[in-house]
Amino acid sequence: MTVTFILNGEDVSARFRSGERLVDVLREDFGLLSPKADCRNGSCGKCLVLMDGKLVPSCQVPAFRARGKEIITFEGYSQTEEHADIRAALAVTGLETCGFCEAGVNLAIASLLEIKPRPDRAGMLEHLSAVRCSCHDPETLLETVLAADEVRARRLYHRGRQ
Amino acid sequence: MVASEVHYPKSLAEVLELQRLHPSLLLFAGGTDIQRGRGGRYIDLPPVVALLEGVPELHLITRTERFLELGSTLTLGSLLELKKGILPEALVAAIGGVATPAIRNLATLGGNLAARGRFMDLWGVLACLDTLVELRDPAGPRWVGLNRLCDDEGRPAFPAGSLLTRARLPVEAWNSWLLRSLADPEEQGSGKAVFTLLARVEKGLVSAFRLALAGRRLLRFPAIEARLVGTRLPLARKEIRELKEDYRRAASELAPLAADRLASLVELALEGYSR
Repeated sequence: MTVTFILNGEDVSARFRSGERLVDVLREDFGLLSPKADCRNGSCGKCLVLMDGKLVPSCQVPAFRARGKEIITFEGYSQTEEHADIRAALAVTGLETCGFCEAGVNLAIASLLEIKPRPDRAGMLEHLSAVRCSCHDPETLLETVLAADEVRARRLYHRGRQ
Repeated sequence: MVASEVHYPKSLAEVLELQRLHPSLLLFAGGTDIQRGRGGRYIDLPPVVALLEGVPELHLITRTERFLELGSTLTLGSLLELKKGILPEALVAAIGGVATPAIRNLATLGGNLAARGRFMDLWGVLACLDTLVELRDPAGPRWVGLNRLCDDEGRPAFPAGSLLTRARLPVEAWNSWLLRSLADPEEQGSGKAVFTLLARVEKGLVSAFRLALAGRRLLRFPAIEARLVGTRLPLARKEIRELKEDYRRAASELAPLAADRLASLVELALEGYSR
């Protein structure tokens, strides 16, 4: 079957078998390797993508479900100015993630920054638990979110004044 | 692997027509339960699938003075985004305990209620809230209580060929609730059962008391609950012990450890009301 959708800002079509998972289509048909098909049951968070702005594990999304949707992988998100806020925050907190979870961590932070009003501390930690990896600790991750929020607020303030 | 024909219906009428044409049609909403424990390269799908997310009637939220109606394809994530106070607190807590935030952006209310292998995490609290669900099939729509989705042994029995369109929750105030995940007494390994207790206390009297344990089976205890209604608080220590024993006896079909745990949680809640 063939479906069309928006992938990282571009209209694309993909042809695949009906039971194929989105993570495999992204990796094999589009060469986007940031989502990793690790656990294939949605629990590890290494295949996270944004689907219509929502954080979802792409191993749990059949590719046919992408029809008409906007899918953003880390490759696409890392080109945005929103991601520049997160990069700046990572430089401040010194958080370094491994290659397996980098995409998931960045997209989890990205989706958390979009939630208004911001959840409380427990809510933020719970949101960040979407990615399970032993390379980082939740506290530093939380610090990074707060730092990114400040960076973004400053950026938007300065833009508003220009 | 069978190549499936995937349909993208845009209305309830289209879904019902597809069901009529294809009796073995798979209604695909969040898909998280369908894929549970199946981590292979491909998702195993039947020959005909209908993706429900494009059906606007199934996303509706309606609120009246007496009821809150939730469309069956609302995701659990979207329910958590509702303004505080719209959903009962116990339901919000139960949703927050489901999997991870990313999974909750896929999993739906209807999927949680229509799962066939086991009662999912929201079942207990929705049963305690006296939730009704609307089922549609070729014979037309009908509202049924959640007990109609269980067989005589308390196991999940969602009627084949039916479409769950919405859930209706009475708008009632509950002053107390307790939720706990327990090891499922009917399952070895990582299976869990959710213990739910809701209580309403008005002017020092227990006016409603509901308890459910939902895992592979659903356990309810209406006889003890009926006896508790009208009881004046605080309860004496002796009364609490007797009620604890009543629950332990009523749950004796469970493994002794599970019955003990259930009775202890009841005791914990009753002691809380009596302080």
